[in-house]
Amino acid sequence: MKKFSLFLYISSLFLLMGCSKFLEEHPRDQISEEEAFDTPANIYLNTVATLYNYIGGNSDSQGLQGTYRGVYDLNTFTTDEAMLPTRGGDWYDGGFWQGLFLHRWGTNNYAIQATWEYLYKVIVLSNKSLEILQTLQKQYPEYELSPYLAEVRAIRALYYYYLVDLFGRVPLVLSSSTPMQDVKQSERSEVFRFIVDELQVALPDLSLERSNYPGDYYGRVTRPVAFFLLAKLALNCEVYLHDRWTTTARPDGKSIYFKVGDRYLNAWQTTMAYCDSLTVCGYRLSPAYTDNFKVYNEGSEENVFTIPMDKNLYANQMQNLFRSRHYNHAKAYGLGGENGSSATIETLQTFGYGTDSVDTRFDACYFAGVVFDFNGDTVRLDNGTVLEYLPWDIQLDLSGLAAEKTAGARMKKYEVDSQGTKDGKLSDNDIVLFRYADALLMKSEAKVRNGENGDSELNEVRRRVGMPERKATLENILAERQLELAWEGWRRQDLVRFGRFTRTYSSRPQLPQEENGYTTVFPIPDNVLTLNKQLTQNPGY
Amino acid sequence: MDRTSKTHVCPLLIACFLGFSLGAKGQVELISSDTLRIDSLRMEEIKIGYAVGNQQTLSGAVDKVSEKRMNKGFVTTPLEALSGQSAGVSISSGENRAAMLSSVRVRGTTSLTGGNDPLVIIDGVSADLSALNTIYPADIESFTILKDASETAQYGSRGASGVIEVATKKGKSESFRVSYTGNYGVQSVYKNLEMLSADEFRAVARQLNMDILDLGNQTNFPEEITRLGVMQNHHIAFGGGTNTTNYRASIGMMDRKEVVQNNAYQNFTAKVNLSQKAFQDRFQLDMGLFGSLQKNNYLTDEQKTFYSAATFNPTFPNHRNPETGSWDQITNASQITNPLAWLEVQDDESNAHFNTHMKFSLLLNRHLTFSVFGSYSYNVIENSQYLPTSVWAHGQAYKGENKTEDLLGNMMLSYTNTWGKHKLDVLGLAEVQKKILTGFYTTVTNFTTDQYGYNNLQAGAVRLWEGTGSFYESPRLASFLARFNYVYDGKYVLTANARADASSKVGENNRWGFFPSTSLAWILSEEGFLKEVSFLNNLKLRAGYGVSGNLGAIDSYNSLQLMKPNGVVSVNGAPTVTMGVIRNANPDLKWEVKRTFNVGLDAGFFQNRLILAADYYHAKTSDMLYLYDVSVPPFAYNKLLANLGSMENSGVELGLGITPLQKKDMELNINVNVAFQKNKLLSLSGMYNGQYMSAPQYTPIASLNGAGFHGGNNHIVYQIVGESLGVFYLPHCTGLVEQADGSYRYEVADLNGNGVNLEDGEDRYVAGQATPKAMLGSNFSFRYRNFDISLQINGAFGHKIYNGTALSYMNMGSFPDYNVMKGAPEQRIKDQTATDYWLENGDYVNFDYLTVGWNVPLGKLKKYIRYLRLSASVNNLATITAYSGLTPMINSSIVNSTLGVDDKRNYPVARSYSIGLNFQF
Repeated sequence: MKKFSLFLYISSLFLLMGCSKFLEEHPRDQISEEEAFDTPANIYLNTVATLYNYIGGNSDSQGLQGTYRGVYDLNTFTTDEAMLPTRGGDWYDGGFWQGLFLHRWGTNNYAIQATWEYLYKVIVLSNKSLEILQTLQKQYPEYELSPYLAEVRAIRALYYYYLVDLFGRVPLVLSSSTPMQDVKQSERSEVFRFIVDELQVALPDLSLERSNYPGDYYGRVTRPVAFFLLAKLALNCEVYLHDRWTTTARPDGKSIYFKVGDRYLNAWQTTMAYCDSLTVCGYRLSPAYTDNFKVYNEGSEENVFTIPMDKNLYANQMQNLFRSRHYNHAKAYGLGGENGSSATIETLQTFGYGTDSVDTRFDACYFAGVVFDFNGDTVRLDNGTVLEYLPWDIQLDLSGLAAEKTAGARMKKYEVDSQGTKDGKLSDNDIVLFRYADALLMKSEAKVRNGENGDSELNEVRRRVGMPERKATLENILAERQLELAWEGWRRQDLVRFGRFTRTYSSRPQLPQEENGYTTVFPIPDNVLTLNKQLTQNPGY
Repeated sequence: MDRTSKTHVCPLLIACFLGFSLGAKGQVELISSDTLRIDSLRMEEIKIGYAVGNQQTLSGAVDKVSEKRMNKGFVTTPLEALSGQSAGVSISSGENRAAMLSSVRVRGTTSLTGGNDPLVIIDGVSADLSALNTIYPADIESFTILKDASETAQYGSRGASGVIEVATKKGKSESFRVSYTGNYGVQSVYKNLEMLSADEFRAVARQLNMDILDLGNQTNFPEEITRLGVMQNHHIAFGGGTNTTNYRASIGMMDRKEVVQNNAYQNFTAKVNLSQKAFQDRFQLDMGLFGSLQKNNYLTDEQKTFYSAATFNPTFPNHRNPETGSWDQITNASQITNPLAWLEVQDDESNAHFNTHMKFSLLLNRHLTFSVFGSYSYNVIENSQYLPTSVWAHGQAYKGENKTEDLLGNMMLSYTNTWGKHKLDVLGLAEVQKKILTGFYTTVTNFTTDQYGYNNLQAGAVRLWEGTGSFYESPRLASFLARFNYVYDGKYVLTANARADASSKVGENNRWGFFPSTSLAWILSEEGFLKEVSFLNNLKLRAGYGVSGNLGAIDSYNSLQLMKPNGVVSVNGAPTVTMGVIRNANPDLKWEVKRTFNVGLDAGFFQNRLILAADYYHAKTSDMLYLYDVSVPPFAYNKLLANLGSMENSGVELGLGITPLQKKDMELNINVNVAFQKNKLLSLSGMYNGQYMSAPQYTPIASLNGAGFHGGNNHIVYQIVGESLGVFYLPHCTGLVEQADGSYRYEVADLNGNGVNLEDGEDRYVAGQATPKAMLGSNFSFRYRNFDISLQINGAFGHKIYNGTALSYMNMGSFPDYNVMKGAPEQRIKDQTATDYWLENGDYVNFDYLTVGWNVPLGKLKKYIRYLRLSASVNNLATITAYSGLTPMINSSIVNSTLGVDDKRNYPVARSYSIGLNFQF
């Protein structure tokens, strides 16, 4: 018996010693960080290219455009451009969409929080990539990693731009190991200056190649993308440098100076300069407006920055057409639809819908009235009657009305990919984020704001679509931006810049105290404030 | 040496399998007439974990449900056999078998991350509920349920949520026997949703002057999708043995066609147990082999199935459109589909289990036994799904296979001695477990024909990157256990366990967890001053305290920062996969700890014709594993798996067995068990490594789905710190108010006085809990001569149910795209704001089954047939409830997205009628 006790004792001891090895994890379906950066090619892949997975998305709040409840929706359905009306049992969704339209989004809005988290996720992952690149550069001085570093810095700046635009005062976090106590908000102007500096530092190391052409730089942040972004930043700098936006007056762009190359230029001159850089790079208006949104729009001379889309290769989705078209309209294409987003009355008026002088772009951007399938046959409802979209019947709550399901002009801007999969959410049209026509309008606006004549740029844009010339006034430019850039996610920023975001319009009253401009930025989500007690809420919320 | 010659009788068996089992005191006999009685409190030997003891000297909270106490009626799975029989063990009954599998809780939910399923041990082999459900109930001798930490501590981390030990039947030292058990039954719907008929649908539309799509048919879709269910079970077992060799083998088959079309289950099992003793019984070898194959045809997305059936336009035909050859759809009703088209979705699973285990025991001397145990289990689950082009644009096929290998080995030395008034049992154990989990899946779309289904994936053109994958995981566990059981004078019992577990899933610094427990029992009835009390047969007081650990259902590698493929991007013009970090890692991950205190009392009076068992427990879970919200930034992702919060569970369990009548020809037994449970989420926030982490104040658990319910304020059941897990947190409806158009809306109260706002933290209040405060299980059985009758009644009380089905189907706003309930047109509600208007009392009493049996007197035939029994059963007789929905028996126990919410996904209520035949030669 003693022998057996001894045996048990010894074998237990043996087991115990073997245990630590036995209990080690040896992952096989994942790899460690060392293994991910073993060659220069893998370094690029897993520090830089990996970040491009987040530009587009396929689930709510993920991706800069193409999905629901993210950056795009916060910039579009909060404005007089478009709405997602309640249609009986459809699209009420707990009042979420009505809340966006009425600016009653609340401080505990899950979509706003998810958008915040999405933007910061990419920023923190960018920080991590930068740190890895810096470490590797020290280890392997022979590797040429500075273009990678520049590209990641530019990506990070891009995401900070969306953050500062949506939330105003945000924490500048520049390291993946920032301790919690150092995560504090910076003033909006400080974040803004950081973004501009970063982009300007990155510029020389960024490639001059076009990003929207398939090839080595497809979908990447190249120098033209940074030019466009710098132009946007300069154009909106009055807003971004306005730190006490509910109480003080806005600074004047004429007296805000940027160092561009070796020149000091005011905000408007800076905008013009960066827009000109794009012209120099060879960007042109496409011959046809619709070319930029075709199924195969990779050849567009006009698009500057796009989300690469390929229904067979990439997971990025474009749900905007899907959620807008009527069920039968979608069915006629053999695709899916959710019968939702529609143009507002203001949009119809701006386009001159129903008048003799309707803008030619209306038909490029909106389905209205009777629609047709690929064969040219009229789309019919289940009961055999003709489907007719009724643009003027749009209102925020359509429930119970005759036009419940058919009110509203619908999104048409992107060509329907007849081979689209996942109900048409996966298609081949690249989603346009930045485009040269916008740069022209920015330049026109900058000129006018700088006291110059912006007619030529404005009318270059209008000529392309066969519309008569207009005088470049701020009023006309704002209208033109809506006409040209409908469904492209710029309306909120434009209205804020023009000081129009908080005004009353049809079916949206102004909120109490809204005239002080507190709704021009979104609230810092309650849950974010709970988790980091050092953060404070934006004024007015 | 006649033993040797005996073994030669079946050389094939010996060659294939060996030996058989230890301590098999069970009876092979089937239900005999005098056994419908609670069978605790006898000097019966009982195996508790690794140890063997007897009921009398047990000091922990242990409940043994032997065959006599198992459910009768139409029972097709072990969980059905156990349901309602043990206080504190909740098993949801109902039609959803998949849900039933994940619905077993011993003393409620104690962890937020998972690992709330009790550990299942089948003949010493660790398994899970799904493996348990593949066993044929007639092969089970008993369930032993370990409820409190003083006993579950033997299993350390794996036993934190209670343990269900299953002993299967073994051979006996007796002559050859064959037995057959079989049932045949039908099942039919007796209650379904009352939606508008086609004529009513038309009339209402006319009256409201609404344009409808009228295809001129009269189709009752909720009825169309149902059928008469047919179920049968057959099981044959044979066994026998000598003093040294025993064997038992069985095969069983179960076939169940549910009342909803396309929903069926089949199970085939085979099982062999062998045992051999040698060297004057000092050496014993046991071996078991078990194999099963389940084939399940699931309803894909039950909610979509029943939601579509209820609300689909009743004027549509019940057949395909003869012109187009496909099913007509209603495009406006985007959240539903033609229910009959949906039934053509194929969603099949084949689940194969194989287990073999062997145990060598050697009696070293009178006191000391050494044993080695080894087990190997292999499980393959293959899932195949095809969504035809009629319900899914271009069709979609999915095929996936998950394999699990589980190796377990232990060595045990046990010592037992009795001297004077002392009795001592000591046990030492070392154990290792290694699992290998692998699998792959692929999704294919763009089919041009539905003919292939999922059987030829090349028929689909598109394989998306994210639709295909494979994985490998190999978690390991190493453990040591020491157990000490001491009885003095048959009156005082002390048990102590100490188990140390180490898991590969935990961070290196926290790898070992130490889980001690102790319990005491005082058998008062053995004391001199009570021995004379003639009506008292037994009185025992028990108290125990123990610590157990839990790693929940967390996967491997949570403590490591690893890179995974995160997507495809264009690199140098070519699509390329990149790697990325896909979650926050936590290198400090450690064991979740549960501390349980238990006091109990067992008593038997009047020759044990009145038996009482009572337990009070209090458990506190701390260092609770949870995906905490962390601040983004500095974190990249908003969740971090960490140990922080705490939760409290307490309860009282009462068991009562009465035999008011006990005569030769007549016996009446009443068994009642009641469990009161209370749960409180104490904390989910705090500082962890200098980071403040928390869960949001209000975390939605269950929400409403369907048209117009996406996002927004449609969350119903929440997890709120300071409340019970799973509370209804809702706006308050003060009544219906008439609108300008004559319709009604739910008027929402402005609870905080700053305008109506439905968001969390605004005009909402805690309106009740989703889990029952009390659960009842009761059985009444009566025998007259050879006839017996048994009635099982279960109940649950103190909880509420959100009738989301009524909220949706009473909303005239969705008419005519979606059909509505009868009564909706009169009420004219045009609103589906989720308020407490549809929050209802969930109390119910359910008459689970009634069985009548006849043990046929065999007279002279007894020579050939030992036993013959005929029985007839009705299952799911009736339910008494104030709840207005289909059935109150929804998910009221498992914390998941369906907790407490009846939301358009309920199976129609069905009753089954069956006959059974058992005999033994």
